[in-house]
Amino acid sequence: MMRKLEDQGERIHERICDLLPWYVNGSLAERERERVEAHLAVCARCQEEEGICRRTAEAVKSAGEVAPSPHPVQFQRMLARIEESEREQRARAAWWKRGEPFRSLVEATPAPLRGALVAQAAIVILLIGVLAWRELHVPAAGTPAAPPAVYRTLADPAPAPQPSIGLHLMFAPQTSEREIRALLLGVRGQITAGPSPLGVYTVEIPAGGDPANVVLARLRSESQVTFAEPVAGGEPEKKLDGQ
Amino acid sequence: MPPNDELALLRRVAAKDRKAFEALYHLYYRRLFGYLLKLTRRAELVEEVLNDVMLAVWKGAPSFDGRSRPSTWIFGIAYHKALKALARRPEEREEDEGEWPEPVDADEPESLAARRELAGVLGRALGALSAEQRAVVELTYYYGMAYQEIAEIVGCPVNTVKTRMFHARRRLRELLPGLGISSHAG
Repeated sequence: MMRKLEDQGERIHERICDLLPWYVNGSLAERERERVEAHLAVCARCQEEEGICRRTAEAVKSAGEVAPSPHPVQFQRMLARIEESEREQRARAAWWKRGEPFRSLVEATPAPLRGALVAQAAIVILLIGVLAWRELHVPAAGTPAAPPAVYRTLADPAPAPQPSIGLHLMFAPQTSEREIRALLLGVRGQITAGPSPLGVYTVEIPAGGDPANVVLARLRSESQVTFAEPVAGGEPEKKLDGQ
Repeated sequence: MPPNDELALLRRVAAKDRKAFEALYHLYYRRLFGYLLKLTRRAELVEEVLNDVMLAVWKGAPSFDGRSRPSTWIFGIAYHKALKALARRPEEREEDEGEWPEPVDADEPESLAARRELAGVLGRALGALSAEQRAVVELTYYYGMAYQEIAEIVGCPVNTVKTRMFHARRRLRELLPGLGISSHAG
């Protein structure tokens, strides 16, 4: 019980103590001032605090104030700032007025439709954002991280056709037609011209198989083939041994 | 000037009467200058902030509803503009305590010397407070305002004003042991 009363007394003391600066400056309402005075009469700690507050107040007041009177130029500067601010305000108002027809149109639109339009605009903006993001973040072709293209649209440029291999071949005189066909089948070759009066066959090997030098090497290793060279424009190759 | 006259002046300012604005400017210039200097302790900021305050008064006068005194409204604007200016330029150190301005009013030589010393001691102690605490101390002791009015000016509950004062008092006691200012004041 005693403890409770002590706590209550301490709370009252703290509340009064908090008010002392305003008791000292004379700004408390009458009722508060009376409460403070009643407490002060019986509280030595608050009496001490009140003394400190008074001395602080006197010190603050007597420290004075450095406050020059305004020079006329300063008011002119003030007016210049007002002018500038009002110019900006007029410019903003003019800008706002320019948007008036659009705002009227928006205001004339029924609220539900306006909501739908806003939602639509938001989606469009979002999609543009996504596309822009993709554009910025998909690595350029040729960089190690670039994924291989897996499909091609009609709008894409057609890939350059792989050139087929054109060869001039000559066979030993005793080579039979069957042997020639077997040789050509081995390299998927097809006779497109010949034999010429000199016995030269022009053979075309479709692209996608072995490269020209490999095909030539294989043909030249055959005893029936006496001559194997790419057609004009091709890469020059060595003649077969003994030719 | 009585608050009602100030209110009439403010109404004319709201109607964009430049003569009234000039009168209000001159009426508040010294008060605001001193207040802003006490609050910011940065002489180089005062002029600029003071103009910011008066521009806000010019623009905001039409919206002043008269529920508070004109001075409360104007000091409130000044408080917020000052804190904003301090936040904008925090890297600059506060004015050196040694250069804290001395009282300007004439006085007897011995008394003036004592007051100069007092201004120095007190200036250093007040400089150690936060701008928010300093504002409460100055508005209470120098301007004699009620805590309710201070709460309006600084835009916070009255209990916050009391709390700021509580911490300021404790700090001042630490900085001025036994409140040594008593030897100079009184």
